[in-house]
Amino acid sequence: MMTSPSTNHRLEYSPAEMQAVFLSRDLTDGELGAAGASAAIPMAAMLLARLQHAPNLSIAGEMFVNPYPKQLWSSMLDDRALGACEAAETFLELFAHSHRGLDFFFHNGMQIDQYGNINLHHIGGTIDAPTMRGPGAANISYAVTSRRFYICTSVHTKRTFVPKVDFITSPGYLQGPESYHAAGLRYGPKYCVTPLAVMDFDPTTLRMRLKSVHEGITVEHVVAQTGFDLQVPDHVDITDPPSLEELQLLRDVVDPKGLLRS
Amino acid sequence: MTTATGRKTKRISFDEISGFLANTIQDGDLLAIGGLFKQGRPLALVREIIRQRIRALKIISSPGSGFDVDLLIAAGCVAETFLPAVTLETQMCPSFRRAVEARTITAHCVDALSVVGGFLAAANGVPFQPVAAWKGSDVIKHNPLIREVTCPFTGEKLFATKAIKPKLALLHAQEADEFGNIRHLSTMTYADQMIARSADTVLVSVDRIVPSADIISRPRETSIPCIYVDAVVEIPFGAHPTGSFPNYSIDEAHIDSYAAYAEAARKGAPSGDADLHAYIDRHVITPQDQDSYIASVGGVARMEELVAEAQSL
Repeated sequence: MMTSPSTNHRLEYSPAEMQAVFLSRDLTDGELGAAGASAAIPMAAMLLARLQHAPNLSIAGEMFVNPYPKQLWSSMLDDRALGACEAAETFLELFAHSHRGLDFFFHNGMQIDQYGNINLHHIGGTIDAPTMRGPGAANISYAVTSRRFYICTSVHTKRTFVPKVDFITSPGYLQGPESYHAAGLRYGPKYCVTPLAVMDFDPTTLRMRLKSVHEGITVEHVVAQTGFDLQVPDHVDITDPPSLEELQLLRDVVDPKGLLRS
Repeated sequence: MTTATGRKTKRISFDEISGFLANTIQDGDLLAIGGLFKQGRPLALVREIIRQRIRALKIISSPGSGFDVDLLIAAGCVAETFLPAVTLETQMCPSFRRAVEARTITAHCVDALSVVGGFLAAANGVPFQPVAAWKGSDVIKHNPLIREVTCPFTGEKLFATKAIKPKLALLHAQEADEFGNIRHLSTMTYADQMIARSADTVLVSVDRIVPSADIISRPRETSIPCIYVDAVVEIPFGAHPTGSFPNYSIDEAHIDSYAAYAEAARKGAPSGDADLHAYIDRHVITPQDQDSYIASVGGVARMEELVAEAQSL
């Protein structure tokens, strides 16, 4: 748990709650977005944004429209999490969603590199003879067609944050501006949000750089936990901690069972 | 005036599943499995595939799969997978990972659009589906289902993904009539409707058979019409340990207990393989009917808990 000195209450919150709150603030009223499997933090972010400042945010793209779950679930694509919703779609509609793209999507990875490329397929060896085979990914097109995506991880270690992914499951900025443009990509990752910090991407080099560290985390620690040469600007903010209202909405309405605190 | 009688029922009994499988799928065939991850997976039918010792299967599914595929691999039934994501979501699939790393199965590198597009093309009776939303991913370089093509109208480079025609599709839904009209009561139906239209043969397990008049009274709710279904079988809790909402929820504890055996076997624990095979004996090979299976996984009391959880959502 982290403690916020910035309020009278000295609020305590978990890293996952910090991530959900940060992401929720970046979602805009009227936007259309979605998240895939194993996406409790992104789902919390979208639901919180809808309650807080974005009542016209639409959550759709993965077979359902505007879910109203009574609690958060670690598994996100079944009727427990999505059964209460405004409309059910099927994988037939996924084809159109994937080509039209969304305003935003969320990704996680076994490996993430300095250009925001994401690997969920294998570590070591080759795709045909992997040392370690990962789960793969269902939809690799939202990274291409959505106006932006967020990388949201449950860990921040050198094993996860590597100089170059062994396999590009979902593309970030590939190997930088030249390869990015050559591949015909137009969008990409906006923020990478981890339990330690928030990173963004240098608009010129398209490399990941530190934006803010969460309360109680030092810049040195984030750099030490990152397996590539993380760009560190002269001034690094502290991530604005959750407000009392944000935490109350998160805990009372979005996540009453405390999944983000477990 | 006389009217014709004798419309054939498509309902089969649990005991007739083995004969149906013997006539519709052989070693090496492409098998499609409905549902997604931990919901609507036809596990009772999958267990019969294992009991029939059908081998070297090629497996395809909606884009997310996990427990059943891992079980089929652990039981030695699988040669190749065409599965975008294989995961238990809270952990990886141990038998899948072990088999791919040992190269005893081939896990083809595919994504959601290649699989969904393949079902869509087959359902529509065309040889491929165009895809324009792939850029920058290594999946494109290794995906055996796709080819680069040129748009005949704009000259744009894009991709074609090949029609997928499974030899047999196994699906699970909540209700059907005896003529094979399927009605999902669950909110999520995933790719079930497309898979039914793409496969040579379709076998559906349902929680209960309802009168034909009940289907006719609400035709908009028939999710898969009888013309796409070859046989239907009533199997209470036939999706267990995956969920069949709104009737019963997901048995996460059972899936976790399987995963613990499979993970120990993957890590080479001393009795890992023996314990995993004992699991398969206990829950797949030995129970010859659904009542015996339910008794092996906690009995009616456990099923009532899963019913209660589904009702509480």
